[in-house]
Amino acid sequence: MDLTSSEERLRHQLGLLYTDVNAELRRRGPNGHRKNGRQAGRRVPRLRVPAPVPDAIEKIKAELPVLALQMVGELSLRLRELTGRDVIDLATMMAIVQFFSQQVELANRGEEMTVDDFGFDQEWTESLLPIFQWMYRHYWRVETTGVEHVPAEGRALLVSNHAGVLPWDGAMIKTSLFEEQPNPRHARALIAQFFFGLPYLSWFLRRTGQTVGHPDDSIRLLEREQLVLVFPEGVKGTGKPWSERYRLRRFGRGGFVQVALQAQAPIIPISVVGSEEIYPMLGDIGPLARLTGFPYFPVTPLFPWLGLLGTVPLPSKWRIQFHPPIRTDLMGPEAAEDQNLVMTVSDQVRDTIQQGLYDNLKLRRSIWY
Amino acid sequence: MYGIDIDDPKVALERTEFVHADTRHSLLTKLVRGLAVDTVVHCATLTEGRNSHRTVHETNVIGTMNLLAACSGADSPVRRVVVKSSVAVYGCEPFAPSYLRESMVDRAQVRDFLANDLREMEQLVQDFQVRNGVIAVTLLRLGRRLGFHEVTPLGEYFLLSRVPTFHGFDPRIQLLHDDDGVEALYRAAVADHAGVFNVAGDGVLLLSQAIKLAGRRQLPVLLPFWRAIARSELRVTGYDMPASIADFLAYGCVVDIDPIEREFGWRPPHATRDTLHDFLERGSNAELPSSGPQEYELSQYLLHRRRARAAR
Repeated sequence: MDLTSSEERLRHQLGLLYTDVNAELRRRGPNGHRKNGRQAGRRVPRLRVPAPVPDAIEKIKAELPVLALQMVGELSLRLRELTGRDVIDLATMMAIVQFFSQQVELANRGEEMTVDDFGFDQEWTESLLPIFQWMYRHYWRVETTGVEHVPAEGRALLVSNHAGVLPWDGAMIKTSLFEEQPNPRHARALIAQFFFGLPYLSWFLRRTGQTVGHPDDSIRLLEREQLVLVFPEGVKGTGKPWSERYRLRRFGRGGFVQVALQAQAPIIPISVVGSEEIYPMLGDIGPLARLTGFPYFPVTPLFPWLGLLGTVPLPSKWRIQFHPPIRTDLMGPEAAEDQNLVMTVSDQVRDTIQQGLYDNLKLRRSIWY
Repeated sequence: MYGIDIDDPKVALERTEFVHADTRHSLLTKLVRGLAVDTVVHCATLTEGRNSHRTVHETNVIGTMNLLAACSGADSPVRRVVVKSSVAVYGCEPFAPSYLRESMVDRAQVRDFLANDLREMEQLVQDFQVRNGVIAVTLLRLGRRLGFHEVTPLGEYFLLSRVPTFHGFDPRIQLLHDDDGVEALYRAAVADHAGVFNVAGDGVLLLSQAIKLAGRRQLPVLLPFWRAIARSELRVTGYDMPASIADFLAYGCVVDIDPIEREFGWRPPHATRDTLHDFLERGSNAELPSSGPQEYELSQYLLHRRRARAAR
């Protein structure tokens, strides 16, 4: 009994994925039988490992993605023979394998790895883009309008409404600038200070270009001619209950207007529709939030009942609208001291976004389409 | 030029006269007036290394208080005071802005005793400036050094064969080259630059990047919370990590060095990356000159500069 035939038989019998087949084979041992005493047939001589073991391991590691792809290809062919339709899309598989091999490659960068002054690793961030592009195109089917208002170069302050328990809206705005703009740009979001004390998250946020929501940071970024994305509602926006969806909260204390005035950057309001439905927040367990130190502890139809599975967002239909920029160069940087003007502009931005929300809600047939 | 320390100088001093003294007030007053000192460079502050809370407090706060008291008064010949502080004064907070400016020191107490004592010391220095308007007081907040001659605890960290890091954190770090620290002290000593200035290298490195550049392996084994547990874990393995460094390695600390460039017309020339490279190169030689702490380097440096100028 040779290895290939038993492997093929398994595949026909079970229709398992390649990796599962491999695991099953390993469990059964080299003779193709379960190792529970019924060891029959001739013994396969043990393979002698060639002397430079690390080299061999490196070689196997390097060939693994190709090998895996070959196996998946074979599997998809057989599945098509069996079922008569494409069960596994080869192009998708190819993209997935490519994604992982690229991740390995990027993780092994040495001297050539560079981050900017804020810890932004552009190369790595762009390698993650396929995931977000898939979410953008196929999961939430985002329709974006008015992206031409975002300047092709130079500073600008993007101001958006904030909703959904997790900041997927920020990720989608950032993705839209890559999907819809003729020359893609990275928007640098300002994140609530609290998140920078958390392990993993702080690491991820910095690496992908986000920074602390501090006026000093935003001015610094704008002075470097970057796009800065702010959510003036902050956690008040993401943690609002389902009954209050699409009703904007207070826009901070107008600090974002002061920043825009000081840096002389145009303000571009953005309305995002769809983000409210990804995690309909039914309740907030205050004591648990206090215990964990989080701003809120959400209860949604899926969370915390389903555990981690409950953090999968619902596939609502999204629309993003970029509004015409509000110019700040006519007011001059000294206007940042004028509290009256600051609050007027802040209200103007808020009204624009709120109106945009109503408009886009009307354009949506339902939550899902 | 006079050097003052409680220990003997560790390098040969040529044009510097050495005085054995500590920072007791009565002694210093006599010295300052007796020698007609016009410029005081105060480097006897503990900013790196493993010192007990008590030592740090006695040296940084009480020592500085005595020295400043000796320099003050209507009959004081002193016209310029330079005080060495450290960026540790900011503490390392996860929510700090990406670039700390000189004004961003909180007056509130923090966990780290070094930061607390430095804050108290700086307050003394600022009070001194207010009371003695004619004296130009420069406070230099030196960045974290790896230590080319005496390896600092942070330098030791990068020389560990397996470098333990905090799980889930990869902060941005900024380092100061020893030579740049000395040059900053020198520049402050020879011209009036009153004010507080950060001194650190240009650019940042991620901790993981720095470990990779050092050719070491990163081991993310330290708990992200409860520093004390992580530090006692490390002590078992033979590396004693000071508390101020533990926070630095979790959250990082990066300061803005534009103000010193504006005032001094000089920017520390060694970037963070170069500093690490230099450190590793010299460290691998294993032939470290047995030189004294920074204040002696300063005197040497001053001497060198003066000679070079005389030769011209």
